[in-house]
Amino acid sequence: MSTATQSFTRQDAGPQSADERVEGAMRSFAKEFGALVGMNIESCIHCGMCAEACHFYIATEDAKYTPILKVEPFKKIFRRESGAFAPFFKLFNLKSKITVEELEEWQELMFDSCNQCGRCSLVCPMGIEVADLIEIGRRGMYDAGLAPKELADRARYQAEHGHPEEVDKPYAELLSEIGNAHDVEIPLDKAKADVFVCAPRSDMISNPSAVAAMAKVLNKLKVNYTFASNAIVAENYGHYAGSRELQKTISLRIIDAAKKVGAKTVVVPECGHAYTALRWQAADLVGEALPFKVRHVTEFLAEQLADGKLKLNQVDDEATAFHDPCKIVRKGGVMDAPRELMKAMGVNLKEMANHQGYSFCCGGGGGVNDLERAKPLRYKAQELKLHEIDATGARRFLTSCSDCRVAFEDAREFFNWDKQPESLVELVAANIKE
Amino acid sequence: MSNKNPRNQQPTIGEVMDQAGVGRRQFMKYCAGITAMMAMPPLSTAAFARDLRAARRPSVIYMPFQECTGCLESLTRSFAPALENLMFNTISLDYNHTLQAAAGEAAEAARHAAMEENFGEYVLICDGSIPTKINGAYGTSDGHTFIQQLEEAAEGAAAIVAVGACAAFGGVAAAHPNPTGAVGVADLIKDRPIINVPGCPPMPEVMTGVLVSFLASGVPALDKHLRPKAFFGDTIHDRCYRRRFYDRGLFAKSFDDEGARNGWCLYELGCRGPTTYNACATIKWNGGASWPVEAGHGCIGCSEPNFWDQGGFYEPLSAKLFEERGQAAVAAAAGVAVGAAAAYGARRRQKKLAGDAE
Amino acid sequence: MSILEFSRGPMLHFALIVFVFGVLWRLTATFLLGFRQHRSEPRASKGQAAAGGFSVLGMRSWPHKEFIGRTAFGEAVGYGYHIGLFTIVLLGAPHVLFWQNLFGFSAPWWPTLPGGLITFISILTVMLMLIATIRRVGHPVLRRISNFDDYFTLVILYALMLTGLMAVLGLGGRYEYILAAHIISFNALLIWFPFSKLMHAFYIFPSRFFNGYMHAKKGAAK
Repeated sequence: MSTATQSFTRQDAGPQSADERVEGAMRSFAKEFGALVGMNIESCIHCGMCAEACHFYIATEDAKYTPILKVEPFKKIFRRESGAFAPFFKLFNLKSKITVEELEEWQELMFDSCNQCGRCSLVCPMGIEVADLIEIGRRGMYDAGLAPKELADRARYQAEHGHPEEVDKPYAELLSEIGNAHDVEIPLDKAKADVFVCAPRSDMISNPSAVAAMAKVLNKLKVNYTFASNAIVAENYGHYAGSRELQKTISLRIIDAAKKVGAKTVVVPECGHAYTALRWQAADLVGEALPFKVRHVTEFLAEQLADGKLKLNQVDDEATAFHDPCKIVRKGGVMDAPRELMKAMGVNLKEMANHQGYSFCCGGGGGVNDLERAKPLRYKAQELKLHEIDATGARRFLTSCSDCRVAFEDAREFFNWDKQPESLVELVAANIKE
Repeated sequence: MSNKNPRNQQPTIGEVMDQAGVGRRQFMKYCAGITAMMAMPPLSTAAFARDLRAARRPSVIYMPFQECTGCLESLTRSFAPALENLMFNTISLDYNHTLQAAAGEAAEAARHAAMEENFGEYVLICDGSIPTKINGAYGTSDGHTFIQQLEEAAEGAAAIVAVGACAAFGGVAAAHPNPTGAVGVADLIKDRPIINVPGCPPMPEVMTGVLVSFLASGVPALDKHLRPKAFFGDTIHDRCYRRRFYDRGLFAKSFDDEGARNGWCLYELGCRGPTTYNACATIKWNGGASWPVEAGHGCIGCSEPNFWDQGGFYEPLSAKLFEERGQAAVAAAAGVAVGAAAAYGARRRQKKLAGDAE
Repeated sequence: MSILEFSRGPMLHFALIVFVFGVLWRLTATFLLGFRQHRSEPRASKGQAAAGGFSVLGMRSWPHKEFIGRTAFGEAVGYGYHIGLFTIVLLGAPHVLFWQNLFGFSAPWWPTLPGGLITFISILTVMLMLIATIRRVGHPVLRRISNFDDYFTLVILYALMLTGLMAVLGLGGRYEYILAAHIISFNALLIWFPFSKLMHAFYIFPSRFFNGYMHAKKGAAK
């Protein structure tokens, strides 16, 4: 592999010496060894199909972006330490010990060139969960102190302060300003509530109307819900950076706040990885089942729709494309809710060639949005997606994930793209039957 | 056998023929039969006849060892160079237990006399295997072990023809577990030309054909099992009239099914044709009347070394050749045990590596 | 002992023992690594999840239409030669006899295909294998991720296919040597099996099943 142009960054905290880094990665990998991981690694037949599912490979045709290759260090370590013939691999050094250079080299592959979108897991003839392996790989990288600095720093900051970056004013204040600006009442810090809600940081800063829309819908539905000023941010940078501890700390903030108000349901806003983190990972990280249901906002609204509580007006017949956020739809299992909502509004939906469970990622997921150096690669992958959206002939472009919107927004500016990514929930909010 | 010639001068076969009143036409026909059988070019018949006429009529010592007399039975049913011709015209059969009138010491004396008179020139035919365990005590004759008798008889032989699977390769006596330590002639005698004519029994025409061709032109071209290539150059399968069914994938599945009645290939019923080198398919038996495969039974491969130990005669050629006495089950149990140990080791290593943090 | 006797006798026995031992070793060692408990509220019942597992087990061989454009050729070649191999091994008369003899049962009902057809399929299979090999060497992704295991397994497979074809077509020398070479190639395959990618023949079932199971449990795409 050519490493000439490859760059990597080191975290400020965590292990610093080469030996400590390797040890950290090994320790982290070892935590994930198990039967399922074993089967996934042992069954690979090197058929290369996963590359054909990966937008980074399709966009670049560069073999190094083959998904299964991105987890090579972990495969190697598994074979050497935990596989059926590990003692022989070790004895004869058939799989050499991982080096810090390899880990550094792989940083780009595991972080810049993977959105953890999980599309490759659907094509693999052996049924290998490539995306899960990459998640394990990222965790090892964090514990080696080799997660990209941007992600690691934000994860640590968020774990400590509740939000990933310094802010001019507390989010609670920002939230009430949004409520005032959009003339929506946003309940904050209620003592008791049935439903606990949080909001995407990115929407609060750059797309506040989406946050207001969510509150508006919930108000209309007369849901007894609340935000908590110490747990407003939905994002989980711990998940992006690959840190179990930080991810857990960040998740616990929401979990504890929801427990405190006695919530039966936590509604995750339009934010993909937040949904995966809370819906499918938090219970395992915390070590116990969560005492409430976790629902994505579209899922929650679709339930209300099915119950007849939510009634919607018909929208215009503008041709509309919908981008399925990987972590909510393909990986999260919220397969039908967005389409049920759109159907109820009579949206003239023009499906992309790859949609629903098989849609291409926006290119920005998995923390890639935050990596400055990943931009050139990301744009290449996004070009693919933009062409696919254009091919539908749609004028309106909806999605249900704020991170996806950030990615599309960025691409829009870069490519002078003619579409503006809009929030599905906002469309719902605007079309509630009075 | 008393018609002794002066020890230094046997008559030529031509002279013997002339005396017996065998005409030229008859002799040429005889030679043509043999050359045709050996697949020699037709033009070579004249030269073959010339060489055979010029050859000295040899003394033949026929030594039986651990045998069943089946080979001799087969030999006496030879049709091509008929036996009476062979015995009285072509060769001088000076010793054969079964055929000669003399017995006991008289017979042995005749053998010793013939060996002495024709030292270095007689042809030794052996049938039966030679038991070697307990110093050869499993097989004795006239107070000597077969080993001793063979070594003694081999010393003055111009060539040895080992007829039958036993003399050639040890045969049935050498089949597992070979209690007598039976071996073939070539396993014991290393310093004499040996021609193996294996089969159980060998084809009579092949036996006589080998003898006559030896007289005419010496030791023929042999394969690695010392068999004359003229008779053992092709497999039964190559020459089998059922081959076309094999090529079309038509196999009899049992001995009385439609396929068997239609004469389809017997491969699946255990036919050894593909790995057996012999002339049965071309010369056939009983004067060309039929042969085993034509009679509906697969070849059992009797002209091949150790043919008794190649699995059941009714099992196909690809069948396993080992007795599974639970070794695979032990291997399976061991695999599970080692796998479990490996997993245990891996989990301990995992705990150690992970620092037991969780 | 002739080479054919050796290949059918002690070597085959040894190869079988290694195969059984190695395969169970590897499978046991993998399975006993332990399964993780999942505490998130599942979207589907265990039964539904298992149904999802079985559906992926069966349906993954047929690529989703979204992938077909890019994977059809590779999958057609790959599955094609696998189908060829299984047809030859399971429906070729000499092989059927071999299995029956090896496992000590008689199955007159077991269908076989005409030898000529099997030969034709074998030639097609070898051609597909050649295409797969060319792809492995020529396609940048495949070349990048291939290792010794991939190539050596192919070598054994070629040996097996070519000796089998030679035995049937009467090419390349005396039948007993070709047959012995064919059986020795098979023995080599058995011995190499547990230590190589050939193990995917076993891993594919749990691996696909759990992929489908976990996805169905989350209601995610399969």
